[in-house]
Amino acid sequence: MLEKISVKNLKFFYGANMALKGINIPLYANKVTAFIGPSGCGKSTLLRVLNRMYDLYPGQHAEGEVVFDGRNILNSGEDLNLLRARIGMVFQKPTPFPMTIYDNIAFGLKLYENLSKSELDGRVEDALKRAALWNEVKDKLGANGLSLSGGQQQRLCIARTVAIKPEVILFDEPCSALDPISTAKIEELIDELKAEYTIAIVTHNMQQAARVSEYTAFMYLGDLVEFDETSKIFTTPTDPRTQDYITGRFG
Amino acid sequence: MTTISESSKKLDMALSKDRARVLKSLVLSDKLFSFATRAAAYAVLVLLAGIIISLIIGAWPAMKAFGFEFLVTRRWAPQLEPEPVLGALAPIYGTLVSSFIAMLIAVPFGLGIAIFLTELCPHSIRRPIRLSIELLAGIPSIIYGMWGFFVLGPFLANYIEPSIVAAVANIPVLNSIFSGEMVSNLSLFNASLILAIMILPFITAIAVDVFSTVPPVLKEAAYGIGCTTWEVVNNVVLPFTRVGVVGGVMLALGRALGETMAVTFIIGNSFKISGSIFAPSTTISAAIASEFAESEGLHQSALILLGLLLFVLTFIVLASARFMLMRLEKRAGA
Repeated sequence: MLEKISVKNLKFFYGANMALKGINIPLYANKVTAFIGPSGCGKSTLLRVLNRMYDLYPGQHAEGEVVFDGRNILNSGEDLNLLRARIGMVFQKPTPFPMTIYDNIAFGLKLYENLSKSELDGRVEDALKRAALWNEVKDKLGANGLSLSGGQQQRLCIARTVAIKPEVILFDEPCSALDPISTAKIEELIDELKAEYTIAIVTHNMQQAARVSEYTAFMYLGDLVEFDETSKIFTTPTDPRTQDYITGRFG
Repeated sequence: MTTISESSKKLDMALSKDRARVLKSLVLSDKLFSFATRAAAYAVLVLLAGIIISLIIGAWPAMKAFGFEFLVTRRWAPQLEPEPVLGALAPIYGTLVSSFIAMLIAVPFGLGIAIFLTELCPHSIRRPIRLSIELLAGIPSIIYGMWGFFVLGPFLANYIEPSIVAAVANIPVLNSIFSGEMVSNLSLFNASLILAIMILPFITAIAVDVFSTVPPVLKEAAYGIGCTTWEVVNNVVLPFTRVGVVGGVMLALGRALGETMAVTFIIGNSFKISGSIFAPSTTISAAIASEFAESEGLHQSALILLGLLLFVLTFIVLASARFMLMRLEKRAGA
């Protein structure tokens, strides 16, 4: 199976504090990989390494290798803007930009492509349809993105991410601020998106991990405890800590 | 069971009695407190009204003598016999132009510094830079005045202004704005630069504060679709903080319009309207500061009228800023 991203012996530091203690994990192409584990175990940190978001903050650094299409993206020469366009991210809280719904999506497109007005319209519509938001917003594309409900805002953010055609999408607890109906919509969406994208999702919701992912990684205190097919992790985990966590005995 | 419930009932009653007594004793202090805060708030209104009324009373003779002509008369001749001729056009012109040039310089600089400090600056030098900008705000304006008088003015007149004059000598319009006819140490340009330096810390400090209210995750989202720092600032940080930034700029403009001491030192106090910014000029507050002590009668009344005009001018600036913000918010909302 094709490894879209291979994480090799990754260590990550917040200042002197080691938050990831040598992680090895593959992200398979066109599969959903879920990361579970108690708060502070390093799963969000791992996600933020994959698109080098940590670079925005001084005092944080990573060691080891993250190989993406044959290149180690931790190299200092990497073009971060291009990298982040290829590895998109959806955050815990919806983050629409302070502009119209249309511009929220067109903005990212205009950064990389020189599109005519009609092409742009088409791409915006396409992205909104993929995010299952088109029917709800097609009559008010000129409204401010912040005027949408929380669930709609989150789907707008997903639309914005898929619009620029990334290869990998990272979801950092995308549903933790949403109601069950919006959550269900987003899970459905993730299921559809994996046909075209490689997906990593961090979640605190074990059922969600079980529903949406093919592979699951259980992390604890900066270590990767267990990584396997989701069905295996949730039925016959090999490590007792995994067993304890998924049965709710700690975490 | 009954005894327990009865005794607890008794206890309840005793407690509620105590509570009622305590509450009663608090009623008075509560009332006093509410009265004191209310009085403080109303005192400001009374003070404001008092200032306006006394300004109007003081300015009344001049208003009666000159009427609307006061606003459009360029001449300022308090010693003229038999009747002095006094017009506010020159100080109004000087006030508006010096503030405009100061804003033209200070706004881009201030926002630039704020963007650098919040988005680009390495952690180690962020504090020293911020601190020195805040110190800039703490320098008394008389010191700016002296520095402008002894250092900046001569430097501009001897080195900078002649070369600008020479560079634009053959360009129409520009050669009258930067005319070499009346180059002097004390000039509108000198005053504008000093004003720019004086309001820079305001703009920077407020911009830094409002820029740091942008949620990091919003910036991360923008970086996350591959934006450069410039694109993040231009498309996310500035739109998100627009209201605060405009507010800070208007506050700085208010200060520039009213700044007195430094400007009085270096603007030259000339009531001549010259098209050139290198010529001496005056502002409303500089005119009042330099002449009020030796004035009497109609002359003094005219100076008070100038003060009233400055008040109105500042009010208009602040009101239009409010109006602009309201429209911006309406457009952004929906």
